[in-house]
Amino acid sequence: MHNPYLPYPVRIAMLRVETEDKNLRTFKFEFLNLGDEEKFAYLPGQFAELSVSGQGEIPIGIASSPTEKGFVLFTVNRVGQVSSFMHNMKEGDVMGIRGPLGHPYPLDRLEGKNLLIIAGGFAVTTLRSTITWMLQPQNRPKYGKITFVYGARSPGLLLYKEEWSEWQKRDDIDVFVTIDREAPGWNGRVGFVPTVTKEVCPPPQNTAAIICGPPIMIKFTQPVLEAAGYSNDDIIMSLENRMKCGLGICGRCNVGPEYVCKDGPVFTLTQLNQLPKEY
Amino acid sequence: MTEYIVKDKLTFLRALASSGYNLIAPISMKNKIQMAPTDPDKVDLDYLNTFLSPKSLFFPQTEKMMAFHKDLTKSDAFVYKPLGLDQVKPSVIFGLRPCDAKGLSVIDKIFQNNRFTDPYWNTKYEPSVKIGLACLNPGPNCFCTAVGGSPFGEIGLDAITLVRGNGFGLKTLSAKGEEFLKNTSGLEIGDLTGEIADLKKKVEASLPLPLDLSKVQGATILSIFNQPHWKTTADRCLNCGTCTFVCPTCHCFDIQDEQDEEGGVRIRNWDTCMSWLYTVHGTGHNPRPTKTERMRQRFMHKIKYIPMKQDGTCGCIGCGRCVQLCPVNIDIREVAKQMNQG
Repeated sequence: MHNPYLPYPVRIAMLRVETEDKNLRTFKFEFLNLGDEEKFAYLPGQFAELSVSGQGEIPIGIASSPTEKGFVLFTVNRVGQVSSFMHNMKEGDVMGIRGPLGHPYPLDRLEGKNLLIIAGGFAVTTLRSTITWMLQPQNRPKYGKITFVYGARSPGLLLYKEEWSEWQKRDDIDVFVTIDREAPGWNGRVGFVPTVTKEVCPPPQNTAAIICGPPIMIKFTQPVLEAAGYSNDDIIMSLENRMKCGLGICGRCNVGPEYVCKDGPVFTLTQLNQLPKEY
Repeated sequence: MTEYIVKDKLTFLRALASSGYNLIAPISMKNKIQMAPTDPDKVDLDYLNTFLSPKSLFFPQTEKMMAFHKDLTKSDAFVYKPLGLDQVKPSVIFGLRPCDAKGLSVIDKIFQNNRFTDPYWNTKYEPSVKIGLACLNPGPNCFCTAVGGSPFGEIGLDAITLVRGNGFGLKTLSAKGEEFLKNTSGLEIGDLTGEIADLKKKVEASLPLPLDLSKVQGATILSIFNQPHWKTTADRCLNCGTCTFVCPTCHCFDIQDEQDEEGGVRIRNWDTCMSWLYTVHGTGHNPRPTKTERMRQRFMHKIKYIPMKQDGTCGCIGCGRCVQLCPVNIDIREVAKQMNQG
């Protein structure tokens, strides 16, 4: 019987400090055992439990795309016991990952639609996965116009500069990267995500929005989308809650009758409007 | 399904114990009746119900899930290996009250849900043979009939017995129970249909009437969640967690790592939604910051969420343990009534 609690052993193949405050590090993992990568078959929007023997586990969104073979990427904010321990680990160290867990973004249902992808701060991780996946030659024709709005407080807090700089050069995705306030050396946009969204959001006809960001950003972006005429079925969000098992058993991550881990973390605004705001 | 007459209790219990299965049955431990592995001679059948629910037979209060070592000369240093999943001798559990058996079947649907199977639960629960003992004299806190159960309830059981003179009446309820019991010595085929029906009617009449939960079922989640009574209902709650500890359908757990110089284990422990730490985020944000939200969560889970997910089956099975043991006398029946009134 498959044991969903047992992590696949992985080696830290590369780690990179992502932000100037050094609170975010990206971990590139390679599976130790042949065949585990195939068992860990995932889609953009899913997450995994990162497992450090003797320390514990943390649920983190998968930042790599399944089209990137040979490794998986996670970007980890230093917050508690496990993430702090991970920030002191070195390349070559062995740990575990357990998953994939949760449901991906509804990539099938979104086929044929224009997409507005909105990210704030380090919540951009699973959207890096999504965009990387969608820009693959075999996937790109399935979707209409793609607009990506990404904001952070300052330039030094933007993740994945290499990736979005490349995307900016392409003509099959419109990328709007913004920071909250003017900063030396920054020639890009300045302004909060809701303001930029209002300016650049495509018309709501046949368009869906995926939003990931801090609660304050979501709170002010949602009215912008509503005013622009987006339907609640087409506003897609990803929730976070404290988790342990990731399997819908240990209890704590529930929002109403739904478990964020097993039934989410991806929900439409229509679904969320029927549930208590216990997240 | 077959009906049997068991002439002598002890002969039957001894036959169960020599079946190749571990006999688990009610015994007196520290002046409390508990389900535990036992010799047939020590089984104590003079009880209303066991002090704690039988969930710990399949979901122990603390359970080692996996272990690792730190010996870097070996290639699997720091790699977790599962514990406790080897072929274990299955159990025959005798004397389960029908309410508790129903409770086990409620959490079985969570441990083995639409996406994942919990192997630690599955390896213990699936092979076990569960033999119930019908309630002929329910206790003052019993209310199975108020929440869709019966003192002769059959859900979650492979067979049910009722005390009958010096022996039992026994009825098999599943193919597993049928198979297990057909070779057990000391059983005579009998006809209990009329007797069970009469007793069932009589005992059920001594128990509370069904709670009216029709409005809870029909209402939206948010309309119940936002009812004004929650604040006052929670006023006297201490968030002590006694209710979650004794509840047969409370299944929440925490996972923790423990280690020393040589290695470590990952264990799971019962947890409680009454605790602040249970839901707090790494950022310090807590979706259920006060006792009101935490107490509401428990009752919403039992009376609204579980029925929504399990075709109307109530998450409370009416064993009455929380009613009996709550230090501030919160009664789930009163809360349910309030939820139904709005």
